[in-house]
Amino acid sequence: MNVDDTALWWARHRAAGPQRVEPAGAHPTGMIRLVEPDASAVWLLPELPDNARPDVLDELGLAGVAVDQPNDSARVLAACLRCCWTESTGPVWPATPAPFDQVIGVFRAITGSRDERALHAAAMGAVRRLAGAGWVLFDEDTRVVRLGPRVASWSAAELSTLRELWRSMPAPEPTS
Amino acid sequence: MTVFDSVLADLNERHRDEVLAAFAALEHGREPVPEAQLLALRDATVRRDLQRLLYRLGRTLVRVGGTHWTSGFRDDVMAALAAEGATAQSRIDRAVLVLVLVHSVAIPRSQGLVSGDSWTSAHPTSVDELTRYTQLPRGEIRPALQRLRAAGLVQIAPPRGRSASVDGPAYLPGPALHRLTKPARERLEHELILAAAPDSPLAAAIRARRPAAPATTSTTPEGNEDT
Repeated sequence: MNVDDTALWWARHRAAGPQRVEPAGAHPTGMIRLVEPDASAVWLLPELPDNARPDVLDELGLAGVAVDQPNDSARVLAACLRCCWTESTGPVWPATPAPFDQVIGVFRAITGSRDERALHAAAMGAVRRLAGAGWVLFDEDTRVVRLGPRVASWSAAELSTLRELWRSMPAPEPTS
Repeated sequence: MTVFDSVLADLNERHRDEVLAAFAALEHGREPVPEAQLLALRDATVRRDLQRLLYRLGRTLVRVGGTHWTSGFRDDVMAALAAEGATAQSRIDRAVLVLVLVHSVAIPRSQGLVSGDSWTSAHPTSVDELTRYTQLPRGEIRPALQRLRAAGLVQIAPPRGRSASVDGPAYLPGPALHRLTKPARERLEHELILAAAPDSPLAAAIRARRPAAPATTSTTPEGNEDT
């Protein structure tokens, strides 16, 4: 097999999302290394030039990947962002972990009236989808949410829009 | 210098932008892109630069139906990934995908209703059909279909007349199946024949044609069978 390292790392990301490696591990060409807060591991994220990013699809009028329940998925991502990104003036990665119940609280506040069971089911479905795509990290046993490595791919312009959104959202209830 | 800069260093600014736009369209887009829409797809010279960029990142151009393009894994890269066991889909998801492919493509093809070697199809597989004959745990099929849908490997069939309300939801192979290269499409067909009819003469012929060692089909940045 004669596949070079760069091609293989980019392909691994394409096949299975952001890759988590040992801190002293790979340094693939063209990829950002996101160090975990405790320095126990590093996430590898491709670095795309501005005009090769997914938002180019809008300019070309082409459809992107279809998302199930797009509205709930977006709201839950916003709720995770509101709870985990405690210092919204700072970088979005790595942010801090937050209890999933806190995320549900913010989700409830921005979705309006819905019966409690449907609300929980919608939030759980959305957080699993987001975790599957690497936008959040979700520990189902401890019910703790963190922002996923993929958020580090947001551009400065996207982050400033998100900061405005963050400020307009209800603050999470303090944990007991 | 990024990978992109080093591959596209010799291009003028306009061609560089065209290559990057086409890269984004093929890599992030849901469906194959019409050749006429982008210069880097219609112009063979610029397309070669696009292919060089994709190749550097483990990908390759795939032509769809003569007029459209998408991108997929290089065959040698895919073999390397498979050898590592790097796959996003669980066993159960892959099993459900195979069932959809059998119902929507393999059976209609054997009846002469589908021609060509594509793994996409307009023959829906109803959820009822999936649950009735399968040996998979029933409760796991719907979540698997959801995950496969998120990956573009299956899609919901458009309702046709009254049948949709009577038979319940139905699925088709998803747009991601367009991303299979010609050797990958053939390998999938062979694997299904080997699994479904291991004692058939066809299966014997496939086994005889396979090299003893793992395939070492070499690809080059300049092209593959599709380009």
